[in-house]
Amino acid sequence: MKTSIPAILLASLLPAAVFAQVPYDRIVKADSEPSNWLTYAGGYKSQRYTQLDQINKQNVTQLKPAWVYQLRTGGVFETSPVVVDGVMYMTEPPSTVTALDTRTGRPLWSWTPKIPDDVIVIGSPPVNRGVAVLDNMVYAGSIAGHLAALDAKSGALRWDVAVDDNKIGYYLTLAPLAIDGKIIVGVSGAENGIRGFVDAYDAKTGKRVGRRHTIPAPGEPGNETWGGKDSWKTGGGSTWLTGSYDPELKLLYWQVGNPGPDWNGDFRPGDNLYTCSVLAINPDDGSLKWHFQFTPHDTHDWDANETVVLFDATVNGRERKLLAQANRNGFYYVLDRATGEFITGTPFVKQTWAERLDAKGRPVTKPGLDPNPEGILVYPSIQGAANWHAPSYSPKTNLFYQTAVEMGTIYYKGEAVYKPGIGFTAGGGRTINGDDAWSAVRALDATTGKLKWEFKLLSAGRSSLLSTAGGLVFGGTEEGNFFALDADTGKPLWDTQLGANIRGIPVSFAVDGKQYVAIAAGFALFVYGLP
Amino acid sequence: MMKRWWMVVTVALLTAPVSLGAQSKADVDGGKLLFQGMCTECHGAGGAGGDAPSLNRPRLLHAPTDVALVNIIQNGIPNTAMPRVRRFSEAETRQLAAYIRSLGKLADAKIPGDARKGAEIYRSLGCAGCHIVGGQGGNLGPDLSDIGFMRGPSYLRQAIVDPGAALPKGVLQVPSRGYAEYLPLRIVTKEGGEVRGIRVNEDSFTIQVRDQAGRFYSLRKTDLELLEKQTGKSLMPSFSTRLTQPELTDLVAYLASLQGEQ
Repeated sequence: MKTSIPAILLASLLPAAVFAQVPYDRIVKADSEPSNWLTYAGGYKSQRYTQLDQINKQNVTQLKPAWVYQLRTGGVFETSPVVVDGVMYMTEPPSTVTALDTRTGRPLWSWTPKIPDDVIVIGSPPVNRGVAVLDNMVYAGSIAGHLAALDAKSGALRWDVAVDDNKIGYYLTLAPLAIDGKIIVGVSGAENGIRGFVDAYDAKTGKRVGRRHTIPAPGEPGNETWGGKDSWKTGGGSTWLTGSYDPELKLLYWQVGNPGPDWNGDFRPGDNLYTCSVLAINPDDGSLKWHFQFTPHDTHDWDANETVVLFDATVNGRERKLLAQANRNGFYYVLDRATGEFITGTPFVKQTWAERLDAKGRPVTKPGLDPNPEGILVYPSIQGAANWHAPSYSPKTNLFYQTAVEMGTIYYKGEAVYKPGIGFTAGGGRTINGDDAWSAVRALDATTGKLKWEFKLLSAGRSSLLSTAGGLVFGGTEEGNFFALDADTGKPLWDTQLGANIRGIPVSFAVDGKQYVAIAAGFALFVYGLP
Repeated sequence: MMKRWWMVVTVALLTAPVSLGAQSKADVDGGKLLFQGMCTECHGAGGAGGDAPSLNRPRLLHAPTDVALVNIIQNGIPNTAMPRVRRFSEAETRQLAAYIRSLGKLADAKIPGDARKGAEIYRSLGCAGCHIVGGQGGNLGPDLSDIGFMRGPSYLRQAIVDPGAALPKGVLQVPSRGYAEYLPLRIVTKEGGEVRGIRVNEDSFTIQVRDQAGRFYSLRKTDLELLEKQTGKSLMPSFSTRLTQPELTDLVAYLASLQGEQ
């Protein structure tokens, strides 16, 4: 096992009651302490890869449950735990934060924010996908539209701020991202006609120190891409999944969702910047270094909020700093993350809406595939070829692992009438379901997008993935299978049935020198390790 | 420190109350548009029934009250093929509910045919060999005790004429995915054994099968040489050539009269 010995020793020698601080430098070097899982996606690059290799291709068949934590209430459980020095910080639906002892699963503390009875959550189930840690605090958003800072030892509230007004549809489901002295969050709510943004808060005080709107106001570059009367005001562009960060370039990469209203583009002629885009933001002043729009003038709800993975590789003989995303629109994209230059884009599922991408990565669309009142069948589906479910990248294989959803939708257009706090979607869709829809774990050459292997799953579900130095890819199916594939070939090596839809996002950590893999399924968090 | 550990918030959040109140014509018209887009594939045009139960009835099994109806529109019905279609706004929910309730206020659609004659045909064809009605019959096919409550007449007619095209869509423990139930399978194991039967359940790694003799098989997919899903087929034969049109109409009338324990 190549785990750094000091980290393991630290974890094993410290009694569970002692909590170490997590300064920014520790998060920057998260790779050097794989016994911990310090951010939503395991580190600023969002690779969701562990260097732990104790569980590997040879012994994975021996995996056994170590402990199980049961939710006290039901709900849709999509957490990605953070693990620090023997303590796991995870979130329970809708917005509770719980600290668990990683040896036993016993709770150390739990905190639940006040949620008003008339809370508005339109566009997703009321979920929470995790926390951020920085120094001695734990940060979490809530569906009430707030961001809270909790004392990591006790769970006591240090500060709480309203990010924006839930009464007009803003709410938070994402794990915040902690960088040097700042907590970065985005918001959900594009189905409510919000105007999206990325916010930065002072980590110690909760004071807001910056806001970068995703929809430019009149006078700002990009506002000319919003035709119609005041369409930018309700333009959506929510920022509902955790972004990535390059500490050397000092650039924050944040993904932007669909324009509002979702399925009626007549309301908002033009490209609708910066919806369905990724933004490279300077976190010091909120300025925009570059942007790339995947789906101009989207009318199929193909948010670009999917996790962006940062990695470095050689392209045409030149070492490049890259950013990759498997987009909800069905294409896999690779960009230069220093400049935003489009490098390659290739379909990773069946898609029927674009002829191709042009040299700059802009789609050449097929005519007549916008939603209409009678309905029109388009692939990928309204839930997307990808979605919130996490991809993984292994530097060992240079493969990008993504659960690709093979499903179409009949898209309908409705009338667009905006009223604050009421859904502003103007249409909808009906998915082609049952045995005609499915998904597959696909391994793409990260640099080219070329398919290396695939493993088919029964349901068109959303399996979040974790790749490991032990040569494995872990994931979970909608039917309840928790599984491990060979990271090089896709061959199934191990599986077990957890008895409910697996919507959790797998992570790995070590305690007492032993590696574990954790995943939420149904109403419980399962932790597996070797006997 | 344990804080507010037991606070229960989820249920209230999942079912934010929507008051139906007075139902205007505008609501009903708006609901009709939504219904055509989202509901007719399963519930039939005008809610006349199809794969899913007819809704043009004064009383709905899962939605006896407006609160229950709103809850179903917003959240679907767990463990059935009724999904949460999408997250409807409060206004849309009110419109859909208004439209669905308006269907029940129509005069009951008269189903043609003679149910008593249909019952005779049911007996003479030996349907009870595979189907249970009121606790009596074989268990290879679906229980029909409340089939008239659950399915509309057009679906029942199709199920008799072309059963393979009308397999009920169930859940297979995967909510909202609408997998076909009673799907015929032909399986050959790597050891050379052959199994023919219907799919009982399936996940990405295993499949559960029942054969015509009622034997149950649990198989891992990695052990199979062949897993043939006979989509479009059914173990039930078509009765299209064995029944005259009037007989078919009578049989549908009989099945439509099976309303279960009310």
